[in-house]
Amino acid sequence: MVIDDEKIVVDMAKMALEHDGYVVETFLDGEAALARLKEETFDVVVTDFKMKGIDGMEVLRTVKDMYPKTKVIMITAFANLDTAIEALRGDVFDFFPKPVKIKELKASIERALEK
Amino acid sequence: MKRAVEPLPPFGELFNKFREVLASHNKAVEMIADMGEKLGGEYLFDTNYIERAYAELSTAVWGSIKSFDAFTRGRYPNLMDAFIRIDNRISDMMSNTASTSGEMIVFREDTLWDMYYEVGGKNAGLAEVGNMLKLDVPEAFFVTTHAFDGFITFNGLSERVEALSKTGSVSENDFAALRDAVIGSEIPVTLNDAFDNAIRKMRAKCGVGCSVAVRSSAEEEDGKLSFAGQFDTVLNVPLESTAIKEAYKKVVASLFSLHSIAYQRRFGYDARKMKMAVGCVAMVDAVSSGVVYSIDPSGKKENVLISANWGLGKTIVEGLVEADIYRVKKGREPQILGTRCGKKESMTVLLPGGGIDTIVTPEDMRGRPVLDSEVITDLAVRAQSLEKHFRRPQDIEWAIDRDGRVFILQSRELRLGDGEGERCDSVVKSLALKPTLMRNKGIAVQKGIGSGTVFVVKTPDDVRAMPKGAILVSKRDFSVFVRIMNDVSAIITDIGTPTSHMAALSREFRIPTIVNTDDATQVLSNGMEITVSIDDEGSAVYEGLIGEEQGCNDAKAPSVTEGHEYLRKRYVLRHISPLNLIEPLHDKFKPEECKTMHDILRFIHEKSIMELVDCARHKKASLRGYTAVALDLEIPASIVLIDMGGGLVKRGTNANNVARKSATAAEIASIPLKAIIGGMGYPGAWHNEAVPLRMKDFFMSMTRMPDIHSTSMSSPIQNVAVASRDYVNLSLKFGYHFNIVDCYCSENPRNNHVYFRFSGGATDLVQRSRRVQFIASILKEHGFTIWTTGDLLIARLANIGRVRMEEVLDQLGRLIAFVRKLDALLRDDAAIEYYAQRFKDGNYELMEGGGKG
Repeated sequence: MVIDDEKIVVDMAKMALEHDGYVVETFLDGEAALARLKEETFDVVVTDFKMKGIDGMEVLRTVKDMYPKTKVIMITAFANLDTAIEALRGDVFDFFPKPVKIKELKASIERALEK
Repeated sequence: MKRAVEPLPPFGELFNKFREVLASHNKAVEMIADMGEKLGGEYLFDTNYIERAYAELSTAVWGSIKSFDAFTRGRYPNLMDAFIRIDNRISDMMSNTASTSGEMIVFREDTLWDMYYEVGGKNAGLAEVGNMLKLDVPEAFFVTTHAFDGFITFNGLSERVEALSKTGSVSENDFAALRDAVIGSEIPVTLNDAFDNAIRKMRAKCGVGCSVAVRSSAEEEDGKLSFAGQFDTVLNVPLESTAIKEAYKKVVASLFSLHSIAYQRRFGYDARKMKMAVGCVAMVDAVSSGVVYSIDPSGKKENVLISANWGLGKTIVEGLVEADIYRVKKGREPQILGTRCGKKESMTVLLPGGGIDTIVTPEDMRGRPVLDSEVITDLAVRAQSLEKHFRRPQDIEWAIDRDGRVFILQSRELRLGDGEGERCDSVVKSLALKPTLMRNKGIAVQKGIGSGTVFVVKTPDDVRAMPKGAILVSKRDFSVFVRIMNDVSAIITDIGTPTSHMAALSREFRIPTIVNTDDATQVLSNGMEITVSIDDEGSAVYEGLIGEEQGCNDAKAPSVTEGHEYLRKRYVLRHISPLNLIEPLHDKFKPEECKTMHDILRFIHEKSIMELVDCARHKKASLRGYTAVALDLEIPASIVLIDMGGGLVKRGTNANNVARKSATAAEIASIPLKAIIGGMGYPGAWHNEAVPLRMKDFFMSMTRMPDIHSTSMSSPIQNVAVASRDYVNLSLKFGYHFNIVDCYCSENPRNNHVYFRFSGGATDLVQRSRRVQFIASILKEHGFTIWTTGDLLIARLANIGRVRMEEVLDQLGRLIAFVRKLDALLRDDAAIEYYAQRFKDGNYELMEGGGKG
């Protein structure tokens, strides 16, 4: 699952990951993503940190409550140490500032799936 | 009115300004390179990043212009105008308020290069071919996307278009109803008037009896994606109000179809936002027509592939006939390598009152080649110039009229699947055991392996019943095959050409495809299980299925760089990165011609160095008090040295240094300059002999001005070194490439730095970029941090001791000398490593064919 309030990010992530054979669902806001999470489990959730409405931290908390085994990877345009620390405390699997190298994101997803 | 030129400031002040220009210029160039990298498809980025990065870049370019303005004392006021023009364009783009001229209809000759938003990609391409390259294209006018918006809104269709976004809930019937609504719509009054005016004007140009082709030109058609055959074209429409408007509506309506929406969705397009411009292009009453690919898609990049038939090009692009195929070797004088005379069973002709008909080709014309050698080479030359202009392989439609004039009807990027064609061993072994049904029949369009059950298609509608994963076998190709492109494993046709719309789609979707096999529909029948294998060695169809092919074949999902959102966001780069101002001696090398931020920076860079060189060469008044001498070296590097103090050894105690005219290498006192010159003069590093140029490179260099290949450097001095004891700024231009070294080399390592910039060259971009890779590989070994993009390299190294710095500069000098002509010999990637190893071993010999075997 990939969540970002910008179409460009979810589109690129979807194409890049599907190209490698992953099954990907994308969402442009946290609300829709959490609604979907009630119906289906995902191995990995990649979410933007800062979004209108339900933000990345809330997605992280909800996912961890519902599916403790699901790994959450956080990406954000506002890269600073505080955000990273806050996210890491919330049991985030990995954290990337945008622009993020697709290869690194894929490697992180790969690691998340191995665990 | 001429601006009064202020007197030159003293050289020291001038030089400081020069350094400021360079510093701001370099910073901006690096930002462009960084943006290019981040938007290159390897990174996930968002709008925020683009806005932030562009804001920084625009500030840097602005700063660069300001310091350039101070340096040149306001001699290029138009440069700021160019900046404002480009900046406005980019800002509009980023805020999604792309300003348009607001025109409903624009004529081809009035269409500017950056009006693709308004006239659509295909029309903008046609205008560029006619207006910039001055190749023959038909007269034309374009109905803009602005007119489209007005038309849709006026007829209250916006909501229905909006409803298209509800994936899955829209049926073909809904589309048909929407198309009917468009066709039944009214043309708004303002558009109606614009049509009438345009028709009057067009009649005046081409005569009352003229007719037009009304063609689609969707916003991004012929951009990165071809949209080949997705939308309607109405041919031979009389130049008469009602007929034109009806055809316009028909073309607009074709935007709304299930198969075109399927295509758009695959690449992430939002069907609601798609806009359709339309081109009304004077009909060429063609004796013959066809398609040229500027490179042979079967893998031979040095060849051009031409397909041709009698009459209009419809039979070729729709794959209706077995056309003539000509293979031509590129070059200034292209060589015809092979002709395959097709059966040309049918041809499309114009009907006198409008419309077209496809008729049986008269017997005597079938077996006769359509083109003679003169036309074949002419088409090959045009294809090469189009490829060079657009800097990408081109897919070109052409037609020849009754007077023998060759017209270019369309030129778009030729998409080639890459990486396919390599088989893994398990598949090779598995295939070898299977009976072969067909081998090397027909023409391979797209490489790859497809395994599945045969599904024979007789009419386009049959494809609806095709099971997922089937191998589609058809008498001919149909562009509606796009509907099933996601589900098909391979395509084989009896007749067709590798240059048809379907072939373009097969490559875009990476579907293994063979066309023109003659009898596939007879050899293969419904329900047979087969495997199609197409690779570099040929094509074959085997009986039976293989299971392993998934492991060997690339997934067919589109790559990131094909996504619509990605392409749309990347559009800003069109106004940032491309370099159009290439040749400084060309009369178009002026601010008004700057189209991108990179052009502005290029202009600044070139003119700043020339300003400095000019000052040194003519010993301008500002040099009073400074020594400027020609360096008398063993190598003909033609360098003027301007001594800022301590750069030259003093001659005797009372010698008047200012009056000196020349100095030898031994008289250089500047530590960094001495080291670089020492390296340049190192035995064997500098080559005076001419390097053999291939025809292509020779052709390329002919289009540029100075002669790099002459062994003597009798050309006016264009190289200058500004030096003091610990510092040098060296600007070297050899033929077509620039080297800049800026270095401080003192006893204190913390103050020491060296900056090296290399750009340009005479050969094609691939070889030039190989040279840059070569330089990068050498400098990396010496600890430089390297930036490269295309044929530009920027390298930095700092905080090293004096002795180490001198060693590095010596190597840099050898490198500068050695690479002068190296690009011409870097014919493949292996040559980079070959020469890099030799250079590291201290072997500076240049060898024709180095790196082969």
